[in-house]
Parts: sequence; structure tokens; C-alpha cells
Amino acid sequence: FPPDFQPIACKPLFFDVALSLADYPSLEDKLDQKKQGGGISSFVKGWLWGGGKK
Amino acid sequence: MAQQQQTAAVTALYVDLQRAINNGDHEKALKVSSKLFGDNPADDRAFHCKIVSFIQLGKFDDALLTMKKNQELATALPFEKAYCEYRLNRTAEALRTLRNLENPDTRCQELLAQVLYRLEEHRESLSVYRSLMKNTQDDYEEERETNMSAVQAAIQTFSEEPEEDL
Repeated sequence: FPPDFQPIACKPLFFDVALSLADYPSLEDKLDQKKQGGGISSFVKGWLWGGGKK
Repeated sequence: MAQQQQTAAVTALYVDLQRAINNGDHEKALKVSSKLFGDNPADDRAFHCKIVSFIQLGKFDDALLTMKKNQELATALPFEKAYCEYRLNRTAEALRTLRNLENPDTRCQELLAQVLYRLEEHRESLSVYRSLMKNTQDDYEEERETNMSAVQAAIQTFSEEPEEDL
């Protein structure tokens, strides 16, 4: 005593790549809806107020 | 008009959500996606974002519970479901979830390789990694190679016959 040191296999590095792949979906089309869905009211608004803003 | 107001409000929330995602503010993303999904339980995108927020916050139980309550929407998110099971150490369940898929995408294959490694199914894990290395081109090549080495090392350590060339 004390006993001799003995080598053991070390635990290799292992990455959780799947976590990096657990990403949010694209929201691009959801952000565009304002332009698509605005329709006539946004046209009227643009006509009424659009001149004021540059 | 009411319809348009709602659409504008929803769009505004999505703008908030996108900003939160860009800022890595998962608490805020969870809040906004929960609001969107609460207002419209058919909004699968908001649902998806809510689940990812839970995952990014490490709230795997909450993610699974939310998916259980919305099974129909959850069927579109097998990767997220299996990932939560994996992180909660329900590895056999994760394996079952992934095995049930007819055409697992590369994310599901990546997770499958990790699940198999944890289950000490090293040879199968290695074969999944081999096919992934052939079929993916992304920012995680190095990490994937590291994982593959770990699998290889496990095979060398635990089996009598070493695997031939890497």
C-alpha cells in the first residue's frame, strides 16, 4: 500500500452536434406578410400618408 | 379589417420573435412564440419555435410536455422530440422515435449516431457517421470527425477485433 497507479482508458471527447442542429425554423415568409397582406388599406394609407415620409 | 389588424399584430410578433432569435434571447423567443401559439393553436411555426426555445433553455421536460399536448403538430418535429428524450436520458425512447422514421433527414441521422454511441452500439454508430460524412457539408465536420474518433476508440477498447482502416 498504496497500490501502483494503473492506466485506464480516458473518456474521449464527444460533441453534441445535434444540439447545434436544433435550430429555429426560418420565419422569412412570416415577416413578409405585412407587405403581402396589406392590400388596399396599405395602399390608401400609403397614398394618404406616404408623401410625408421619405 | 379585424382580420388585417390581427395579421399586422401577428407580423409584429414575428418581427419580435426574429429579433429575439437573432439576439440569442431564448427566454424572449419562448415568450413571443408562446403568445403566438396561444393566440393561434394552428400556427405550426410558432409551435416549432416554442419547442426550440425550450430546448435551447434546457427545458426538455417542458418541450416534451408541450409536444404531448399537441401531438398532431408534434409529429412534424421528430428530431426535437428525440433530442429531448436523449437529453433526459430516455435513450431507448429516443432510439424508438428515430427508428420509426421512414426517411430520417441528416439531423435525425446525426442524433441517431449519438444515441447509438450512448447505447454502446458502436459499430452501427460508426456506419451512420460514415454515411453522414459522405452526405453532409456543414460547419460541424470537425466535431463529427471527433465523434467518429470517439466511436472508433470505443470499438478498439471494447472489442477483440479492431476495425480496419478509418
